[in-house]
Amino acid sequence: MKYKFIGLLIAILCSSAAFAQITVKGTVKDKTAIPIPGVNVFVKGTQTSVSTDFDGKYAIVVPNKEAQIEFSFMGFVTQTIKVDQKTVVDVNLTEDNQTLEEVVVVGYATVKKKDVTSSIASVKGKDLQTMTVGNVTESLQGKVAGVQITGAGGPGAQPRVLIRGISTINLSTDPLYVVDGIPMGTSINFLSNNEIESMDVLKDASASAIYGSRASNGVILITTKKGKVGKPKFTVDLSTGYQIMEKPYDMANAENYATILNNAYTNSGYSEYLPNAEQYRGKTTDWWGAGINKASSVTNTSVGVTGGSEKNTYAISLNYYNSDSFYDVGGWKRVTARIANDFKFTDKFSAGVTLNPRYETWGSPGNWADFVKIDPITPIYKPASQLNGTENEYSIYARSPSYVWNPVATVSRYDDYTDQYNLNSNGYLQYEPIKGLIIRTQGSIEVGNRVNSKFTPDFVIDAAHEKAEINTIERKASTNSDWTWQTTATYSKAFAQKHNASFMIGSTMEEYNGNDVKGYGEGVPNNSDSMRELNAATKNYKSEGNSWSNSLMSYISRFSYNYDSKYYLTTSFRRDGSSKFMSNNKWANFPAASVSWRISNEDFMMSENSIFNNLTFRAGWGKVGNQNLPASVYQSNIGQGNYVIGGEVVDTSYPSTMANRDIKWETVEDISFGLDFGLWKNKLSGSLEYYQKKTNDMLFKKQFPTYSGFPGYSTIWTNVGSMQSSGIDLLLSYKDTKGDFSYGVDVTFTTVNVEMLSLSTEGERLYGAGNRTLTVKGEVPGYFYGYVADGLFQNQTELNAHTDEHGTKLQPYAKAGDIRFKDVNGDGKLDDKDRTKIGSPWADYNVGLNLNFAYKNFDLVANFYSSIGNDLVNQNISDLYNGISLTNKVSGLDQMAWHGEGTTNYVPRLSKDDNNENYSKFSSLYVEDGSFVRMKNLQLGYSFYNKFGLDKLRISLSGQNLWTWTKYTGIDPEVGGGDTNKDDGVKGSGFGGWNYPVLPTILMGINVAF
Amino acid sequence: MNKLSFLFLLTFFTILFTGCQENEADFPSSDNPTVVVSTNEIYGAPNRKFEIKATLADDLGLKNVRIQIPELNLDKVINFATDPLLTSYDLSYFFEVPANRGASEGFVIKLTITDVSGNAIDQNINLRLDGEFNAPAISMITPKEGAVILLSSSNKLPVNFVVNDDSGIDYIQVKCAALGINEMVQLTGAPQSYTFNKTYTLPVTAAQYVLTITAKDKFAIPNMGTLNINIVATNEYPAIYLCDQPKGTNLTTDAVGVPMYFHEKVGQDFEFKYYADTDNKQIYFLGQEADFAPHCFGLNASGNLIDDVTSSAIVLPTKGYYKIKVNPSTLVYTVTKYTPSSKVWADVANGLWHDNEALRKPFVSIAGGGIQGANWDTWNAWIQTGLHLANNPNNPYQLVGEYTLTGTMEGTFTGQWWSPSWRLIKNGIATMSPGANGNAKYPAAPGVYKVILDTELERAFITKK
Repeated sequence: MKYKFIGLLIAILCSSAAFAQITVKGTVKDKTAIPIPGVNVFVKGTQTSVSTDFDGKYAIVVPNKEAQIEFSFMGFVTQTIKVDQKTVVDVNLTEDNQTLEEVVVVGYATVKKKDVTSSIASVKGKDLQTMTVGNVTESLQGKVAGVQITGAGGPGAQPRVLIRGISTINLSTDPLYVVDGIPMGTSINFLSNNEIESMDVLKDASASAIYGSRASNGVILITTKKGKVGKPKFTVDLSTGYQIMEKPYDMANAENYATILNNAYTNSGYSEYLPNAEQYRGKTTDWWGAGINKASSVTNTSVGVTGGSEKNTYAISLNYYNSDSFYDVGGWKRVTARIANDFKFTDKFSAGVTLNPRYETWGSPGNWADFVKIDPITPIYKPASQLNGTENEYSIYARSPSYVWNPVATVSRYDDYTDQYNLNSNGYLQYEPIKGLIIRTQGSIEVGNRVNSKFTPDFVIDAAHEKAEINTIERKASTNSDWTWQTTATYSKAFAQKHNASFMIGSTMEEYNGNDVKGYGEGVPNNSDSMRELNAATKNYKSEGNSWSNSLMSYISRFSYNYDSKYYLTTSFRRDGSSKFMSNNKWANFPAASVSWRISNEDFMMSENSIFNNLTFRAGWGKVGNQNLPASVYQSNIGQGNYVIGGEVVDTSYPSTMANRDIKWETVEDISFGLDFGLWKNKLSGSLEYYQKKTNDMLFKKQFPTYSGFPGYSTIWTNVGSMQSSGIDLLLSYKDTKGDFSYGVDVTFTTVNVEMLSLSTEGERLYGAGNRTLTVKGEVPGYFYGYVADGLFQNQTELNAHTDEHGTKLQPYAKAGDIRFKDVNGDGKLDDKDRTKIGSPWADYNVGLNLNFAYKNFDLVANFYSSIGNDLVNQNISDLYNGISLTNKVSGLDQMAWHGEGTTNYVPRLSKDDNNENYSKFSSLYVEDGSFVRMKNLQLGYSFYNKFGLDKLRISLSGQNLWTWTKYTGIDPEVGGGDTNKDDGVKGSGFGGWNYPVLPTILMGINVAF
Repeated sequence: MNKLSFLFLLTFFTILFTGCQENEADFPSSDNPTVVVSTNEIYGAPNRKFEIKATLADDLGLKNVRIQIPELNLDKVINFATDPLLTSYDLSYFFEVPANRGASEGFVIKLTITDVSGNAIDQNINLRLDGEFNAPAISMITPKEGAVILLSSSNKLPVNFVVNDDSGIDYIQVKCAALGINEMVQLTGAPQSYTFNKTYTLPVTAAQYVLTITAKDKFAIPNMGTLNINIVATNEYPAIYLCDQPKGTNLTTDAVGVPMYFHEKVGQDFEFKYYADTDNKQIYFLGQEADFAPHCFGLNASGNLIDDVTSSAIVLPTKGYYKIKVNPSTLVYTVTKYTPSSKVWADVANGLWHDNEALRKPFVSIAGGGIQGANWDTWNAWIQTGLHLANNPNNPYQLVGEYTLTGTMEGTFTGQWWSPSWRLIKNGIATMSPGANGNAKYPAAPGVYKVILDTELERAFITKK
């Protein structure tokens, strides 16, 4: 009975307690109304907690209406809500952009952001997806301090990406891209920005040394989107719009053109070229309108689905990108799919596989400058009187006396397209035999096929100047098959509470194989589309083919340790054996170490933790390499040429390049110091970093000494010379929320100072870009080297004064209105020795400004990027102002050019002869301030949540590259490197010409989630 | 303002203004610079350079000298290096007087010399434009350049020339070391014209001589003119020329071809091929290229060949091609008319440049130098249609045209890629098979010339229009 009583009492007490308890239900979603599974829902002050299900739903029992429920999930700001009278509590969690718990990819591993000891910058995929770009690095511009990105116009063009300046002169400056752990070379044109979850930029050697001999230009790690636990979530992202191509210069009409040329002729003592200029009034040929579309469409579309269970998650996306060229033909299309599956078989055993099939096609004429340069009098088509009815369709066009080939005709003949097919398969197995030990092996196979087909029809526009007497057909197919395999074992353990250590060892193997075959023929019976096959060619067949292979085998290790999350140490070591290295230097070692001190975790800072959420000092050191050696470095080649043997000229062979058995990679050693900070609950955060990196054993192509017996033009690559880059990276970020209004401001600031420390011999002078740049010890590489244009001679007195001390004229052919070139060395002669530094292509600093605002359902993003202090060579000046050629000139040049004392001190007088070499001498006339500020992106969006049966619908309107401030008068101030085939990648930087501009683009976007 | 702020601002502005000062070195005071000019009066002339000479000096160091003639747009500053300081400088500055100034004008050249202490002095020099700078003009009557003295007929060398000079002739001198001639004629009263006429006797052995004639004028800054005449004394004629111009014609105004050089020579038997463009064409044979004297072969009253500048012309009766043989020693000649059989370059006016040889049509233009519009590119020869020759409607073997010569000319008549081509070598020979002979340079006065390329004769005739 006693027990019955006690039981009854307990039952009564329990029931009374049950009466006081409240069951609260609800759904947890993110800001974009996507349900979040796995959110920890916790009743404060109790042990009660649950997790949200696949649909973000939860139900939890709270003791009373005073209870407070806390919702927490990694990457989101924790939210606490008092129950009060509510039984349904729906929560929208906002992402925590500054959380130090965020994970950062560091190469073969991930670490929490707070534990990073190296210089690594992270950008989230959603920040890259605000722009519609073919190459995602263009969207990265201005968002990462220390990364300089120079945009490239044109469908499929690849921007130049420099991470902390340059560390090489003759090799590639592109960083290494690693996608989901797999090295993918130096281009990511194949990636849609909608596929990307995050990008991590390894800026210093202490971070990137784990990638060894390919990391000297920095490494960009890309993580693609993966599946998440939950029911299937579908997303559709569409962005479409138009790129605007304005005529870059206001060119002369027919009458003005005649006037300009007449002035040039008469100024040179000739009779007028086109007498009675007024007769051409109203007879201007609109070449631009005939061949260039003012607007060309651009579309970026992705359809995706993610979801999964605890055992299996998946993410599937189909992505389409199309960018038309501004001609009637050509453009770039890319279709990619990404199918990612991750499996968790047991708590210890997991696996994943990702398939990534891709298709790209591109091709576009490149003659848009001809639409500007061709004379405005020539008609597009020959007049009927010049046709006899036997011409083919490509021969009906008129020939311009300006020697510019009829651009409309050129576009009509264009048939040069490339198709590329790739399939990448990437899979991993992961096993955790004991707690803390993870063994992971990952492999990938990439197969690709590229086919280039080219047909040039026969035509005769002018029998002497503009014709192809026979048509030609060409097809080239390249196939590549690459594989990688990497295995790592990582053991992490915390001991004695405050000691945390992690040790990773592993090995990697990579092999890259390729071959190509090319067929060529001439004399296809006619130019019809159906005949454009190699089999139709009737003569001059040629075939070529080759194959290649290279491989890399490496051992890697990393040790990380921290004491009480205050003092951190990370070391890494990589040993690379590359097929590109000769036997004498087969293996290369790349060590690195970095330390950090998390000052904000010190006890003495606890009193300041209302201000400092994070204050960390970092220092790193490491060695990395550049193994992108040209083939001629390790190959001995035979060339063909004419030699005098026994008094007779003989067509024979000679050793053109010789392998250097001692050749090795360029080595970059760098040190880096950084200070990371987060203040006032991370409202203000950022980092300030200083780095200095030195390249040793630089590769230069040298001629043999005469006594060696080798001909003067045979060369050998040699490891000589060194250079140094140093600079400051600054990131400042401020974010805050006031009621329904939230905003964020990010500022990135980058400085790069580059200096050549030594060349192969003392006093060596390396010329580039056709002797227009010079690289010498103690200076920046590839500075502009030419004559100083000291204004124009305004009158005879100035002409008479430009003499040596004995009255000998320095420029005997000069007339008033010509350029006065400076006798720089004062030797009384104007010659090659008067060339000097007239500018530098390297910016003093780059600044990025990224703004975002949100008010209720509206959001606004604005991105600005600037390059300050660099010079550019405007090569178009000669085309536009020089009266020597018959090409069209800028409108009003007859008044712009010098035509009397005081009229101008800039544009020389018009002259048919240019005896003073105003334009043929490379001078500061061509050098302009290349600084610019560009509004990269302005996007306004509005989101509907839980409307129309959708979780989210967002519409947006955006403009890209709408506004640019610059003093540069060329086409576009974003000018990259020179011709890498002429070793001018670095030495030819900053030469602007008729480069395809980065185009203003207007876009409309729709993002749907359901 | 508290003391600390005051001290801060004081320090700040002190640094600021110190930083803004020019870095120019200060020099102590010194004496004025000095200048010694070589002359206080300089003679100049329009379109001619004159020299300003002076010695500049300063006890401490010179900074610069400024030379000014505002009327002639001259304002030149010569700056001197100051490390190390320059205490003396020999000024030698040339300046050309504009061509449009008058000879009667005069100007003042102002020199301003400044030293590093800031002392400056001025020095004026008068400039007169009535200077006479032309060397005395020597007009050779005989012998002419390249004259041939046939020793078998005479060993006398008559030397006859006229000297003219505006400012008066001081002296003339005739020298020939090989002949032992050194004749100095000092003139009194500085006549503006003087005629020299004297005959010398030559040794009977064949030789070449150079006769040097010098004349000096009496201007304040004397001018001297010199002329060298090459003479060949021979027992045989090295060359005979066919001349179809009337006597008295200046035979040096053409660029190429007049008189015409022989085609073949065996001993003293010379053979010409010649085209008479009209009936009754009159010709002579000349023993020298530039003049009718001393050896002009024509007919005497009885119709025999004689060496006499008064002889009558040989007449070719009808238009057409002739083979003409002449022996100046035996004074025998023969004239034979013939019909050419060489290739006729017809329809060259409709020539067509074409990569495909089958579609190509020959044109004939010229590549070379000293010809307006021409260079050594056959593509240029094609596009410069003004250089294209046309067929002579009256003679299928002649291509004719008009060129503007800009000075000494050289050239090769050419079609596309030198096919066909006639290289213009020495003696007016335009040959399709030049062998080792390179293009010859022909001095020519600038102007418009008539061009005849005779493909049968392989000769070019480029004569002033």
